[in-house]
Amino acid sequence: MTDFDHAAIDEILHSRVRLAIVAFLAGARTADFSAVRAATKTTDGNASIHLRKLEDAGYVSVEKRFVARRPQTLYALTEKGRQALLAYVAHLENLLPRSGGTRP
Amino acid sequence: MIDEQAREDIAFIRRAIEEGSAYATACSPDMLVWGVAVAIGYLGTYGFIRGWSPIAPNALWAACIGLPWLYSLRRQLGRLLGSAPSARGPMAQALSMLWLGCGVLLTTLAIAVCWDGEIRQGWFDAVVAGVLGTAFFASSWLANLPWLRWVAIAWWIGELAIFASRHHPEMLLLAAALMLALLAGPGLLLLMRGGRPRR
Repeated sequence: MTDFDHAAIDEILHSRVRLAIVAFLAGARTADFSAVRAATKTTDGNASIHLRKLEDAGYVSVEKRFVARRPQTLYALTEKGRQALLAYVAHLENLLPRSGGTRP
Repeated sequence: MIDEQAREDIAFIRRAIEEGSAYATACSPDMLVWGVAVAIGYLGTYGFIRGWSPIAPNALWAACIGLPWLYSLRRQLGRLLGSAPSARGPMAQALSMLWLGCGVLLTTLAIAVCWDGEIRQGWFDAVVAGVLGTAFFASSWLANLPWLRWVAIAWWIGELAIFASRHHPEMLLLAAALMLALLAGPGLLLLMRGGRPRR
């Protein structure tokens, strides 16, 4: 048994796709939809759903604009999203020393 | 089990951040600056050959290569002047070093062939196109931008076209067009896709 605290896990970032999006944007600062979709290796629909959830949670900001008369959607990580990612990583790192000696 | 999962998750996050960082590096305006500068060099040389421009090619090329180098090395120069170094992932570093290596190779070879007079044979411009094709091909994998592979293929086709026309002055126009279309063009596209230019 471990003292793993499920409640401490950020439900928004617990999804692999959303975690990948947030981590990608942490490195990229700003990226358009196709770059996010390619980085997360997912479909248009799946990427849209997860980006919407991140936007609703305030983790990702969205900017829509036109480039050469074509619509373009740019995504960026908000400060709230950055803090959530840092907290998530810190939580994972905290698990390592505590569970180091409890390998089943 | 939990520590294994945590390690995997941390590695996964690190990889994703590196990909994002590499993507950001690919959005640098360096391609645009180099593409325009080298195209000006080719067009100026063609103008000199035709008698339209009084600027000697050697002086023109010194500016068209020297100024973009200063631009590309601005981060290193800033670091020397005391600015804080930017933390970048290994993928972004690899991408940056790939282009730096190609730049050093082409610049040193350009100086050597100009010094030797071999530049008049015309093969050097085909080598430039081939090296740029290779750099774009590797960048497409490092930066996770598959469409850059098509740019690489276009450069390799351009390499053959330049080589075939190396004894004609119009080769300079072809090389200038390739620089604008296949170096400045992708640079501009990456800037537009990536949003604001990075400092």
